[in-house]
Amino acid sequence: MATRLDLAAERKATVAPRRWRAAVGKVLIYGGLTLLALIFVYPLFLMVITAFKSTREIFLDPFGLPSRWSLEPFITVWRRANFSTYFRNSVLVTAASTVLVLTCSSLAAYALGRYRFRLNNALYIFFLAGIMIPIRLGVLPLFLLMRNLNLLDTHWSLILTYAASGMPMSVFLLTGFFRTLPRELEYAARIDGCSEFQTFFRVMLPLVRPGLATVTIVNFVPWWNDFFFPLLFIQSDELKTIPLGMTIFFGQYMTDWGLLFAGMLIASLPLLLLYLVMSRQFIEGLTAGAVKG
Amino acid sequence: MHVRLMRLTQVLFLALAVLLAPAVAGAEEVTLTFWSWRTEDVDAYNQFIAAFEAEHPGIRVRFVPYRNTEYNTILATALQAGSGPDIIHLRAYGGMEPLAQAGYLMPLDDKVEALKDFNPDHLAGATNRADGRIYGVPFALQTVQVLYNVRIFEELGLKEPQTWSELLEVAEALKRAGYIPFANGAKEGWTLETFFGAVGPTFYGGSQYYEEVVAGEATFEDPRFKRAVEKMLELRPYLPDNYMGVGYTDMQVLFAQELAGMMLAGSYELGTFAQMNPDLKIGVFPIPGERAEDPAYISVYVDGSYGINANTKHPEAALAFIRFLASREYGQMFTNTLKQISAVPGTQPEDPVLAEIVELMERQGTPYLMLTAFRYGQPSGSTLLQNELQGVFAGLLSVDQAAANIQEGVASWYEPFQ
Amino acid sequence: MVRRWMERHAYIFFLLPGLVLYGVFMVYPLASSLGYSLFHWDGLIRGPFAGLENFKTVLTRSPYQARFWGALSHNVLFFVTTFAIQTTLGLALAVLFRKKWRGFGFFQTVYFIPYTLSMVVVGFLWLLLLNPTWGAFNQFLRLIGLGSWVQPWLGQTETALWTIILVNAWRWLGFPILVFLAGLQGIPEELHEAATVDGATGWQTFRHVTLPLLAPVIGMMTILTFIWDFNAFELVFIMQGSSGNPYYSTDLLGTLFYRTAFGDSTTGGEPGQIGIASAIAVLMLIIIGAVSILGVRQMQKRQVEY
Repeated sequence: MATRLDLAAERKATVAPRRWRAAVGKVLIYGGLTLLALIFVYPLFLMVITAFKSTREIFLDPFGLPSRWSLEPFITVWRRANFSTYFRNSVLVTAASTVLVLTCSSLAAYALGRYRFRLNNALYIFFLAGIMIPIRLGVLPLFLLMRNLNLLDTHWSLILTYAASGMPMSVFLLTGFFRTLPRELEYAARIDGCSEFQTFFRVMLPLVRPGLATVTIVNFVPWWNDFFFPLLFIQSDELKTIPLGMTIFFGQYMTDWGLLFAGMLIASLPLLLLYLVMSRQFIEGLTAGAVKG
Repeated sequence: MHVRLMRLTQVLFLALAVLLAPAVAGAEEVTLTFWSWRTEDVDAYNQFIAAFEAEHPGIRVRFVPYRNTEYNTILATALQAGSGPDIIHLRAYGGMEPLAQAGYLMPLDDKVEALKDFNPDHLAGATNRADGRIYGVPFALQTVQVLYNVRIFEELGLKEPQTWSELLEVAEALKRAGYIPFANGAKEGWTLETFFGAVGPTFYGGSQYYEEVVAGEATFEDPRFKRAVEKMLELRPYLPDNYMGVGYTDMQVLFAQELAGMMLAGSYELGTFAQMNPDLKIGVFPIPGERAEDPAYISVYVDGSYGINANTKHPEAALAFIRFLASREYGQMFTNTLKQISAVPGTQPEDPVLAEIVELMERQGTPYLMLTAFRYGQPSGSTLLQNELQGVFAGLLSVDQAAANIQEGVASWYEPFQ
Repeated sequence: MVRRWMERHAYIFFLLPGLVLYGVFMVYPLASSLGYSLFHWDGLIRGPFAGLENFKTVLTRSPYQARFWGALSHNVLFFVTTFAIQTTLGLALAVLFRKKWRGFGFFQTVYFIPYTLSMVVVGFLWLLLLNPTWGAFNQFLRLIGLGSWVQPWLGQTETALWTIILVNAWRWLGFPILVFLAGLQGIPEELHEAATVDGATGWQTFRHVTLPLLAPVIGMMTILTFIWDFNAFELVFIMQGSSGNPYYSTDLLGTLFYRTAFGDSTTGGEPGQIGIASAIAVLMLIIIGAVSILGVRQMQKRQVEY
């Protein structure tokens, strides 16, 4: 007791210098944060302004603002690099993979979360083990499998690969969500005469909507940005996704810097805008996997 | 009256024929796909294809280029999957042979008569050594030597050097004047193989050493080979600052934007430079020996060829296109447009620099060492040379160590060494 | 009868699509890698049984052995450095952001932006910025009077790997910050208040209250980082080529595996070696699997202690 009183007295005595020190601390903290923010954003700012410059301008004045703000490089990129096709393909592949993984994982998670049966725990661990193991290490057999199924150079090769690799994390997250739902809901649904599937689809699934959103976001970003599987599975130009299409474009215009930066900007914009518009959902979705562990 | 009626009928018939012709042709029109790694040459190939299509109504060709560094993987995976293009831009020598051996390619020697007139040396790059058959129509010959900026040389009063010490003096003079003497960098290993292809032959003794090492009578630990590498190192002071970080496109820009006076480079750069800077005046010379009377060499190789997918659904149309690619008409068009040496016999380059290179090639050419002879197994001579040279340039390896590593690696699969 | 059986065993139908998808397109390929590694291969055609021959080649024969151990050590450095950055700087920022001062939301959003970029864009962007001749980075050094620091960052064996690691951290750091922050928000405020009332300093509160409670999140994040870093491929492939220039100094297990499996594209078309590549994949599987299982075990043990 005495000690605490002493402490309080001491605190009072040092209040003035403390306040001053706190102010200095705040300045330092905000200064540091701003510096760090510059490190994160300045390269991106350079990407934006460089996209508007000619190669000569990039040479002579790398940091200045461009002398003209013309959309020409963007139009050139869009036309020459087939970006509209790549964009459509990326949307298509990501969306189809998401639908597939949501369907399969919500069904499986419902079984694991709501039913008691002998292999329940073993199957749960079977799915979970996939979180630890990157699918890329199986790419050689996967490649031959896709060849034997005649799926190489089709979007299906990507959709199936992505959906399969997304299963572990999705099952893990959704099982958690299903387990939190109260038993009474199920009983009520059964009394109303719902079949097992109707119970799942009409009653339980709508209740884990936040879980479905999380699963979508967790998977969406890596799939949208994936370069590895399209590089190996896709050959036709009209089937390429943005990251793969971009490398072709970059190979072609490696000495035309302005165009390169314009291409990068166009390729990054969709996800960047999505993030800035719905950063809260993004963050909650992406961190869910790691925190729930 | 009678005559008039006949005229009218004729006119009607003609009109009908004109109206129907496209429909008939359209019904039989085939589209060939043509894969390539020449992303830089899209416009030129579209122009060649337009010329072909004008002569062959009913056949359309779609040129689909892939990034150079990914082309092999993409092509191999497509062929393994039983798909792929009808017309294939093939790499040469060991880059083509595995595809032919796996049965992915159609043999052409009995189907394309024009191949009989080709220089047999130039067909080596498209021949499968196992069955001796030819699987591609060679499209270009490339040489590796020094390219220099004529304007800068004139401005500084420099001449093409006749000896190695004169070359170093030229480099010194360029450096003093604020130019980068050689645009070459070492960030990407393969550009060091080009570097070696320019400097090496003069010092390892051209075709004599080449034949010995191919026969297994000499090795890569031969003093001649090591000397060639040491000579490369003597040029280090004349490379760009931080040359270890200078990649291929940087090299091109340095030379094309006239920041560098010379570049150890392949003849295939001429077309690229002409596009990047139309005002650039380029000269060529081979790397000179110690004395003016020592023979000076340039490395020569067949760049690749045009082949046909054995699985093509349109073999006749594909052959028609390949025969076009083997024609003199095409060869001339190719040389004029892309500023490269066509492998089609009897073509004359319009470009004076290219004409000079052809002359040099005929007098002082020697096969490009690793590419023409040591790409048939793994690790290939090129992989080894590229990476070991990078190790030497980075100061991690001595020339002796690098030579021993190259020898060990090649000997692991090259029978004459075993 | 059938209907009743089906109702009672409905879980089987719920499980089936997921099991098929996961089994065929993930478990089967991963398991077959092991099979592939035990055979000799000629192109894509399986040859005779090889036993552990391919593993012996990777681990002991030149030049494969030098490449494998080199790549492994680079992966270790990659992971250790990334781990060090995220659990010092990343954690500190997360703790700071927890205070929710004015503007912190903004900084949080900004730090996360690079994570939304594709590795392909990140690779090309920094490749251009770090260009030794006219890249903005070296020009910036000159601008602020550090001209003597100018270097070919990606071209020297001493600096190339560090540069790649830092570029990766640039893209990555926002993610652990957010994860830690989410973990911190799960710790009840009263615990901190209690500690402060008991006279604990900020550091003491952090060390004895926050850190132990956050340990599971840090542990999970560490395991995830390990998995991702041992899986790294794109950045090196885009910036340094498939053989990890210069002189293999940025070679990772991912690039080694890729070029062994699918051929080294820079040298004009060498075919892949499936047997040896599969052996590399299996070794990577063992390393990643063993370390993550050990990590998870360790975490469970500690959780029991607290």
